[in-house]
Amino acid sequence: VMALVMPPAHGARRRGVPGAAVWVALGAFILFSLVVPRFFTSGNLANVLRLASILCVASCGQAIVLILGGIEFSFGSSVALASVVAVTSIATVGPVAAFLIAAGVVAAIGAINGGLIGRLDLPPFIVTLGMLMAVAGVAASLVGGQPIDAPPSDIFAWPASGRLAGVPVPVVAAAGCVVILHLLLSVTRIGREWYLAGANPAAARLAGISVGRAIFVGYVVAGLFCALAAVILTSRVGSGQPELAPNLPFETIAACAIGGIPLAGGQGRAYQVVCGVLVIAMMNNAVVLLNLPVAGQHLMIAAVIIGAVLLQKVDRPARRLLAALRGEGRR
Amino acid sequence: MSAIARLTAARRFAVAPLCLAVAVLLFSLTTPEFLTPSNGTNIGTQMWVLALLAIGQMFAIVTRGFDISVGALAALSSTISALAANAIGLPGAAVGVLVGLLSGTLTGFLIGRLGVQPIVATLGMLIGLRGLSLLITGDGQVVPLAESETASHLAFDPVLGMPPMTWLALFAAVVAAAILGRTALGRRLVMLGSNPEAAHLVGVDAVRAHIRAYQLCGGFAGLAGVLILMRAGTGLPTDGSGMELQSIAAAVIGGSALSGGVASVLPVVLGAAFIQVLLTGLNLQGVSPFLAQIVVGLVIIGSGLLGFITRRLQPSFQTGERT
Repeated sequence: VMALVMPPAHGARRRGVPGAAVWVALGAFILFSLVVPRFFTSGNLANVLRLASILCVASCGQAIVLILGGIEFSFGSSVALASVVAVTSIATVGPVAAFLIAAGVVAAIGAINGGLIGRLDLPPFIVTLGMLMAVAGVAASLVGGQPIDAPPSDIFAWPASGRLAGVPVPVVAAAGCVVILHLLLSVTRIGREWYLAGANPAAARLAGISVGRAIFVGYVVAGLFCALAAVILTSRVGSGQPELAPNLPFETIAACAIGGIPLAGGQGRAYQVVCGVLVIAMMNNAVVLLNLPVAGQHLMIAAVIIGAVLLQKVDRPARRLLAALRGEGRR
Repeated sequence: MSAIARLTAARRFAVAPLCLAVAVLLFSLTTPEFLTPSNGTNIGTQMWVLALLAIGQMFAIVTRGFDISVGALAALSSTISALAANAIGLPGAAVGVLVGLLSGTLTGFLIGRLGVQPIVATLGMLIGLRGLSLLITGDGQVVPLAESETASHLAFDPVLGMPPMTWLALFAAVVAAAILGRTALGRRLVMLGSNPEAAHLVGVDAVRAHIRAYQLCGGFAGLAGVLILMRAGTGLPTDGSGMELQSIAAAVIGGSALSGGVASVLPVVLGAAFIQVLLTGLNLQGVSPFLAQIVVGLVIIGSGLLGFITRRLQPSFQTGERT
């Protein structure tokens, strides 16, 4: 019988040794600080954090799915549906309820995905790709493919532009999500089950874990993270847009991959999500500060995404070198 | 192949023809304009951009990968083809295929040699190719074709029953089927997808095979770009977004297993035809075109459910089933 609270599944052996993700993020930070004018100013760094926050919230959800060995594409259209639902229902139910309904829709999509993948054992790629397209169709049908504006309201604007103790709400939300993700992954039973189900579902099943249930819960929790991201994003754009963030699934996957979370499942930590998200946000900020033309921005972003992932691969040889220097033999 | 495995394979390849037949039947019964020769010709020529992208996608999928850069690649190809055709005459448009091959080589190198996951590598390529398109055209200006009338003849006027560009696309599909089914390369790609370790043991060079797979994918996307150019009469540097998912959808509805190793060209083409019929048919009915997206999404999930039903019916033959 498993204890309710368990030590971290991974990284125990190398506790205290930060992974390659930290070095990549730190390297990018130092590089941008030296090379990019006005990058290293308090105003700009706050801006980077604000830019990073929405991606960070959604990436926390994606990380859980990747740890489960799955993939979640439907984020791209579920945030769009959420924004459309929020804006169309605000007139009748008010902003708070509108946001709750929108968040409920995203969580429900996560639950459907989780049910199909966890309970019926369908492939995640197919389910979430199909859901991505179907939900995009629903979002567009609801508003005839055209964006609609939300009536101006302070409450509606709060999730994106409000402040809590002087800190922007999205940044607080992102920090909270990272802490929750860290706790879920490191001290809860379900977190441990996600690692095991992702690393080796057959073995996990033999160990008495309900893999289907773990997967279902994972997609629902991922949907909840995405729901929060959807609320902040809707509040920021102040409108219901059927094509709100089509690249969100790819950006969240890229953030996790840059952070060094393998797409094969079974591994991944909250700090890696933070590092990956920060690399993407710093880069998006740097290309603007450098005043690059749009074409140049695209090319640089592409190079950084692939380059940062390639740098992850240097991780293992570097570790071996460190071990050799310390005089530890190869095991 | 055991009888059961053959049956399962047959079932997955039956999804596309079945969906196509149902869609054609429904639209024929409900929309009088649907079953007209002109509409048939229209769909028959229009579907090939998606079909070519889906065939390319299939080569990536059969090796357990996929490529989300194909839409951006087709756009870049149409742009460079337009520039080349304007510089040296219409045959210069063939450069588009070369663009696709080059891009595919880089993608294949990133995935096969450097071990970057397909989604990250092709996301990087997607963004980079968009950047290149913008760079070449000065922030997204379309490139009108000087000989757009000849191009339009090639794309729309039938010769021996079909426009020359449609003949070309059909020929490319036949070549794809031959490569997949009849050549050592096709065998290697299928082996790599169905069991990478075994493929390695029998001497398949995985790096080379990956590069070939993405070259094929890129080459077909490049050809799709040339087709876009001929149809539109202009190079469209910012076109093609959404095409990557549609092409994956067509390939999946066409029975390609995302876990690799199972694919066939004809069902993939029929999968593309199904999506095109859906788009055109709903358009004729005056229904919101977004309904087509919903249907395609549900069909994709449905094709996954098929695997579930198969497993339920034959619980002892789980190993024969592929996702």
